[in-house]
Amino acid sequence: MTVDKHSTVGLILPALIALPPLIGLGYAVTASLGLVGVAPGGSTSRYLREVIANHTTWAALGWTLWITIASTFLATLAAVFLAATFRAESKADRFGRIVAVLPLPVPHVVAALSSLLILGQSGLLARVAHSAGIISTPAQMPPLVYDRLGVGLIFALVWKEIPFLALIAFTVLKNRGGMLEETARSLGANGIHTFFYATWPVLWRGMLPGIVAVATFVAGSYETAALLAPSRPLALPLLTMERYTATAMDLRPGAFVLAGFTLLLSLAAVAAYGATIGRTDRLQ
Amino acid sequence: MRTTPIRWQSSLLLVLVLWTALPISVLVISSIGSGWFYPHLVPTSWSTAAWSELVSDRRLSRSLLTSLWLASLTGGIASIVGFEIGRRVSRTPVPLRYFALAAAFLPVAAPPLALGIGLQYFVLRAGLGGTLTGVWLAHSAVAIGYTTLYFIGVFAVFDRRVEEEARSLGASPLATLARVTLPLHRRQLAEALLLGFLVSWAQVPLTLLIGQGAVESLATSVMSYVHAGQDHLASVAGLLLALPGLVLMGVVGSSIRRFAVATV
Amino acid sequence: MKRAGIAISSCFALLVSACNSDRPEIVDRAAIARLPWENVVRLARGSAVTWRMWRGDPSINAYIDHWVVPRLARDYGISLRAVEGQGPEIVNQLVVEREARARGVADLVWINGETFHNLRKAGLLWGPWAGRLPNAAALDSTSPIVMRDFEQPLDGWESPWGRVQFAFIYDTVRTRDPPHSFAELKVWIKKHPGRFTHDQQFTGVAFQTALMYSLSGGAGKFEGGFRPALYKAASARVFGWLEDVLPDFWRAGRDYPLGVAEMHRLFANNEIDFTMSYNQNEVVTKIRQGVLPPTAHALVVTDGTLANAHYVGIPFNAPNPPGAMVVANFLLSPEAQYEKLRAEVWGDGTVLDVAKLTSEWRSRFESLRMDSHAVPPAELTRHAVPEAAPEYRERLADDWKRLVRDRAR
Repeated sequence: MTVDKHSTVGLILPALIALPPLIGLGYAVTASLGLVGVAPGGSTSRYLREVIANHTTWAALGWTLWITIASTFLATLAAVFLAATFRAESKADRFGRIVAVLPLPVPHVVAALSSLLILGQSGLLARVAHSAGIISTPAQMPPLVYDRLGVGLIFALVWKEIPFLALIAFTVLKNRGGMLEETARSLGANGIHTFFYATWPVLWRGMLPGIVAVATFVAGSYETAALLAPSRPLALPLLTMERYTATAMDLRPGAFVLAGFTLLLSLAAVAAYGATIGRTDRLQ
Repeated sequence: MRTTPIRWQSSLLLVLVLWTALPISVLVISSIGSGWFYPHLVPTSWSTAAWSELVSDRRLSRSLLTSLWLASLTGGIASIVGFEIGRRVSRTPVPLRYFALAAAFLPVAAPPLALGIGLQYFVLRAGLGGTLTGVWLAHSAVAIGYTTLYFIGVFAVFDRRVEEEARSLGASPLATLARVTLPLHRRQLAEALLLGFLVSWAQVPLTLLIGQGAVESLATSVMSYVHAGQDHLASVAGLLLALPGLVLMGVVGSSIRRFAVATV
Repeated sequence: MKRAGIAISSCFALLVSACNSDRPEIVDRAAIARLPWENVVRLARGSAVTWRMWRGDPSINAYIDHWVVPRLARDYGISLRAVEGQGPEIVNQLVVEREARARGVADLVWINGETFHNLRKAGLLWGPWAGRLPNAAALDSTSPIVMRDFEQPLDGWESPWGRVQFAFIYDTVRTRDPPHSFAELKVWIKKHPGRFTHDQQFTGVAFQTALMYSLSGGAGKFEGGFRPALYKAASARVFGWLEDVLPDFWRAGRDYPLGVAEMHRLFANNEIDFTMSYNQNEVVTKIRQGVLPPTAHALVVTDGTLANAHYVGIPFNAPNPPGAMVVANFLLSPEAQYEKLRAEVWGDGTVLDVAKLTSEWRSRFESLRMDSHAVPPAELTRHAVPEAAPEYRERLADDWKRLVRDRAR
């Protein structure tokens, strides 16, 4: 009896939290179909078709995918490396762990601003190159912000996400790394082998939910793209915002298509997150 | 456990310190240098003009106060609600807990821009468009997801026997909550407050969409200053934005690890 | 738990009511249109006015926050609050508010040109009201630049506020012999590859519009409304000119700075040698703010520099139209226009006809000295040309994006 009551409340409350995004998704979908919005004319697939047929949409999706994969991969790599290096309890190790996590509370927009100042074509890096005699005019500096590859954007995102992943990695190793490694070592494995066969599998599974979270954040981050991304190809959040604030009224429903799609993707991310949590817990 | 330090640890440590300190240092220099143009490595002249704008430019001081107020309110509501939900969820059987985790993760995973676009209509209908209340609600909708995840983790390792003992001694559920559970979680509540605070403090798209310019936070002012080419003012705003988080993290310190519990 | 719930909901209710209490009652707007001016002023006393305007320039902000706001409070009992908002955002917000039948936020909006056009087309403005302002009697009513907003008649739907002129900005040290016409500019670009570009927004379109006038025989050819055939021929010439110099543009014309702020940054950091501005006096304020180097100077091109005025309008759902009208009237007062004209403050041109003012004010305006970095006013007016119908600019902007910027290279 008591279990049932607790289960009900314990399920309803979280469901309430999930309500705003679901309502947002519902509205975005209905607006995409033309049922609500500025010029509702009944159900139509016109807006969906227009967005799908527009090549800017696909360029945006592809480019955002590239940024997500690159940033998440680099941040994960760095976090793993940091966790493996600063594992012990010496002063240096503890200091390293603190410094690695320091950027955690810094807002994304600040990281983006710094990236702009450092990697801009006439930014700090360019001036260092100038002092070193490598370049003489800013034009000789390869563009690192507003550029096709999104280097400056990736830098800002990686700077922001490493602390988060590193923190998870530190915790995972501290809580779960010990036993398997000792076993491996007692069986005669050397450093590298221990890492790959004992440490890495534990680390990987423990970090998976965090990696899913990071990928989701990075893909949807608006402010970093607004400050660092190029105008062509346009990143997905920027394309969405551009269409949402378009003065031409027939472009606006396209923004709801894109927003609805983004929210659906986040639902998928939640599912992925739930799946990885399951795997992690089973490990315990 | 590794007993010998890795060879390259000290050089990696140096790189790490530079990597972490550089972006913040650049902001500091940009905020007190005037006319910092290429190719100068350091500003040709120094001035605190940008910082005195904090006092004289109503826009900057107003956005700072707005952010402080918004973030505090968000942290407040998010920590309370997250605590309660986390506590309840911990009483549900384990398989159902995944559902709770997933539900709490949704507002965290949903990109704020798409969320704002989907919800703006409702905020406007409620007459909350361009109001502090509307922005606060929007921020809280996201922050509560974070704090709930956090508290689900906290209560997953909480030893309920203390509560059960109090109940067996005759305390009512409410008294147990007030006299036993809450005091035991004072530090976690503070951490959750910080978490909710930071979520609101750093938020940009929701403030833009729901606030519609009438509500300007420190974070959105950074964007506006950059778009207007006012790099010095943007750096001042950026430093003000980065500071509380860094300071508070120093205070909360080693228990930061528990933030990660929320997602592990 | 229950107690906590009650506490939370009462806090919430308090908060909501506190946030909504400073909004004035919604007055019958049609009735206001018929009220005598003294009644309007009386209605406005003690009320709050929210003004959506561009807040990206600290000098303009200082003028508004530290000069206009205190005087409005002192003389009219109005508390003015300026908040961020530019053309497309304003249009979008009003559309969304109308769709959601929500209460309006802005009482006054700073607009001109395409924004005015879009707002009127969509019926998002309240009016007509501007003819009722007492200070409007001193307006320069013979000036086509002030009395027509990109060729559109005002008809009282917006009130003039200031006027500016498009100018280039160059560095006197880096560029010793700047070009003075578009033909000379073309030669210069080819001689200095990679050192010139324009932005993607408002100012960049202004550059292209001025180019269009120059290549098609002058601004006079474009009077009398939008003509598609004329546009087709003229824009073809513009894009032809651009295609010709594109390889020598910054980044070979593959990328463009987003807005004029980015262009200023490129110019200040020695990546390009020219930037542009819609305010010929901006060079002065930007040098003072440390955004541009002290060696920067404004430059006017003889083929004609676009002159236009900017205005304030009242949205259809403004909560406080009387307050907005009083503010607009104050902005037209000689004191406010004079203060705004001062180079140390803003340097924004006046929309008043100085001859219609008292002799005291006339002499004050005439003796106002311009800064040495700016262009002498006489030279400005000699080359000033008014804007053509907004459709020209809108089409130019769209076609440029499509035919020049987005073309795969």
